[in-house]
Amino acid sequence: MNMLTRRGFALMALAAFALPAQADTTQKVLSIGSDVTEIVYALGAGDRLIARDTTSRFPEAANALPDVGYMRRLSPEGVLSVDPELILASEGSGPLETIEVLQAADIDYVTLGRGYAPAEVAAKIRKIGDALDLSEAAETLASTTETALNDQLNAAENFDGARKKVMFILSIRDGKITVSGAGTNADAMIKLAGGENALTDFQGYKTLSDEAASTAAPDVILMMNSTGSHGASAAEVFAMPSLAITPAAETLNLQKIDGIFINGSGPRTAGAAKQLHDAIYGN
Amino acid sequence: MLNAQNIKVQIGKKDILHGVSITAKPGEVTAIVGHNGSGKTTLMRALTGDVSYTGTVTLNGRDLQTLSPEDQAEIRGVLPQASALSFPFQVIEVVEIGLRQANGTGTTARHALAQVGLSGYENRLYQELSGGEQQRVHLARVMAQVSAPIVDDAPRWLFLDEPVSALDIAHQLQVMDLARSFARSGGGVLAIMHDLNLTAFYADHMVLLSKGDLLAKGTPAEVMQDDILSQAYGCQLSVGVAPPPGTPFLLPQMAGI
Amino acid sequence: MAVTADIPNNVKSRASFARQLHILLGLGLLVTCLFSLTTGPTGVSLLEVLPKLLSRTPLSKLEQVVLFDIRLPRLALGIAIGAALAVSGAVMQGLFRNPLADPGIVGVSSGAGLGAILAIVLGGLLPASFLAIFGQYLVAVSAFLGGWLSTIILYKVATRSGRTSIATMLLAGIAMGALAGAVSGIMTYIATDDQLRDMTFWGMGSLAGANWTKVMAAFPIILACLGTSFCLGRGLNAIALGEATAGHIGIRVQRMKNIAILCVAGATGASVAVSGGIGFIGIVAPHLLRLMSGPDHRTLLINSALLGAILLILADTISRQIVAPAELPIGIITAVLGAPIFLWILLRQRSVVDL
Repeated sequence: MNMLTRRGFALMALAAFALPAQADTTQKVLSIGSDVTEIVYALGAGDRLIARDTTSRFPEAANALPDVGYMRRLSPEGVLSVDPELILASEGSGPLETIEVLQAADIDYVTLGRGYAPAEVAAKIRKIGDALDLSEAAETLASTTETALNDQLNAAENFDGARKKVMFILSIRDGKITVSGAGTNADAMIKLAGGENALTDFQGYKTLSDEAASTAAPDVILMMNSTGSHGASAAEVFAMPSLAITPAAETLNLQKIDGIFINGSGPRTAGAAKQLHDAIYGN
Repeated sequence: MLNAQNIKVQIGKKDILHGVSITAKPGEVTAIVGHNGSGKTTLMRALTGDVSYTGTVTLNGRDLQTLSPEDQAEIRGVLPQASALSFPFQVIEVVEIGLRQANGTGTTARHALAQVGLSGYENRLYQELSGGEQQRVHLARVMAQVSAPIVDDAPRWLFLDEPVSALDIAHQLQVMDLARSFARSGGGVLAIMHDLNLTAFYADHMVLLSKGDLLAKGTPAEVMQDDILSQAYGCQLSVGVAPPPGTPFLLPQMAGI
Repeated sequence: MAVTADIPNNVKSRASFARQLHILLGLGLLVTCLFSLTTGPTGVSLLEVLPKLLSRTPLSKLEQVVLFDIRLPRLALGIAIGAALAVSGAVMQGLFRNPLADPGIVGVSSGAGLGAILAIVLGGLLPASFLAIFGQYLVAVSAFLGGWLSTIILYKVATRSGRTSIATMLLAGIAMGALAGAVSGIMTYIATDDQLRDMTFWGMGSLAGANWTKVMAAFPIILACLGTSFCLGRGLNAIALGEATAGHIGIRVQRMKNIAILCVAGATGASVAVSGGIGFIGIVAPHLLRLMSGPDHRTLLINSALLGAILLILADTISRQIVAPAELPIGIITAVLGAPIFLWILLRQRSVVDL
């Protein structure tokens, strides 16, 4: 069944029942990126997913899907083996060689931006909706998400308490800590939660020297809620000499956030930011 | 004919050889003898092109400097004092390493092995042989390399660096017999020797070095004189004459006797 | 001698077995190639496609892409790199006179990887006009130069008066690896996120990114290096007797060493440039062959090329099948299979590696 006849059936269904686009539920979709997968489920199209990438672990149902590997290390034949008709991929999926092969195989391939500004997140939702023929549902989700994000952003900007400096630690390995500078999702999340990023004089993620970590003097340490080098207990974190003398250590203020909110922004981001705000400021 | 004139070798700042001239004739076994550090091995290394020297060396009438490594390898084979061999090669493979063009049947190598008394050893692992057997494998390799004592009317040469040091008396005699028969068939043999009695018995011509200079040369009877040897080795030595062939032999003397 | 005289002279020699191995391994490679073309998570099978090809029935888009854009370039790259790594290993082992020398272990691969990393991160600083012409080859050339320099440094450091010390060699390899790690550490501070992603590729080898462009880039270099290496057989045999003796046999030792080092650097550098660091093939293939048919390099080098290709293709086939639809980096598989063999060599040949 080709795309055209599928669209045809969809139109017939639309005409017959005058329902919002309950399009082509047999379409086989591969979703790459945790935010993308989450949005697909939020649009009610979870049953069309035939596979996902390693980072896609929400909602629970996604875990039952075959895993095509880490989003930056996709294997061309592995992806083809799940026989997708549509690939929804977060920007930065790769490697390039794999994407070239997939495009050569004439598979619909939609790239989705990783922007975290409310309008960008809304645009991402609409683009996914268009690709799934669920434009109307997407429009609703996009506007609620955009509104919620804008509201949260306003609330954060208008927050009149003393702002706390938040340092996001991506990983601690061999005593070296890798932290977020400006221009990352983590930076955006900190702003959205009404905090101030403790480190903004560089872009992206960098491994920090012990002294620089102390000098940044964060009031709060923010880490991802996962195991391994990404997660560590408060005792472990504040036992490190570089962090022991920070204000955060005095109040043992270590906050954890689900890694999914650092990977990309979606419908639940505003809520998570609100929660983080409450946790940081102890409301 | 091997002709080395006024050979000087300097290694670092040290003069090892101060102008040594020697000749060796095909058909003869020429022995180089001398005390430890007298420059025997350095002289040999100059003749094989392994150290730079001043002076001239001609081999079969051609200047050594004008001979390519391949040409030299064809004219003369060099048996080193000791050979280390990495990897578990079979005996016949070791012999064939010396051949420029290995023939598939291995006849050349088999023939050479038979000459040194190692027939049947072809497929043994070199590493599993005794030191004496290993030395004979290398002798076979060198003999296979030069293929015959005379090729196209030109003599081939064996340069042997202490060929029998690691061998028992029976194999010493066997190897020296091989060297002599190579010479008797028209080839040239130049050998560094330590055992003066064995030298006296096998060498046609002797070259005696001392402290980097040529002290004496000639037949064993000419060179092996009490005063010459005592001066060369710095100790009291006395030469006798062995019964039937009349070759000189040496007995150590107690000091003061 | 009387004892051994009754061993017949026509005992079947290893040499003729080694020549038979050319054919056996060649057939083995053919079978492995067919197996690899037939195996993959999509289930596209050569057996189904072949009749279509013969009867000129058009292939489905999936079959076409899987066979011609995925498996075939991957197979070609696998053959070239497997052969390159195994032959480089054999040449290096011959040159260093030690069965444990391997571009991956003694730091040639780290040097090549370092060259690649420097090109990725600092390449942008070169004049635009230069980049316009050489840009696409920059990483490969830089990997080659890195491999070449580290081989030369290694040789100079580890070789004293013609004898290569295995201890010095391994230590120099460790230093080389540490230097590569340190410089790439510095580079992570300069690199952008995209460059960082490119860099991680060099640590863990993979054939997953194979395409025809890479095949075209790597093939000529590897082919030239392999062809030249195959002519080094007699010289490497002679080197086994020591450099002085090799010279007495008529080998131009210094020239041969230079050629061998260039070949190793070229083949390893080109491999690392397109597939990252894949370890142990260079040790395992020559070692197994030495056990089977002896160390004669005239046959060993060709057999190593064939066996190396077979091993790498098998490892790659496993790598794309074992966690399908995801993929395990091939470096992990060669290490899992190769490291035990490496340890086994250490156990069996302690004398060889006595530091």
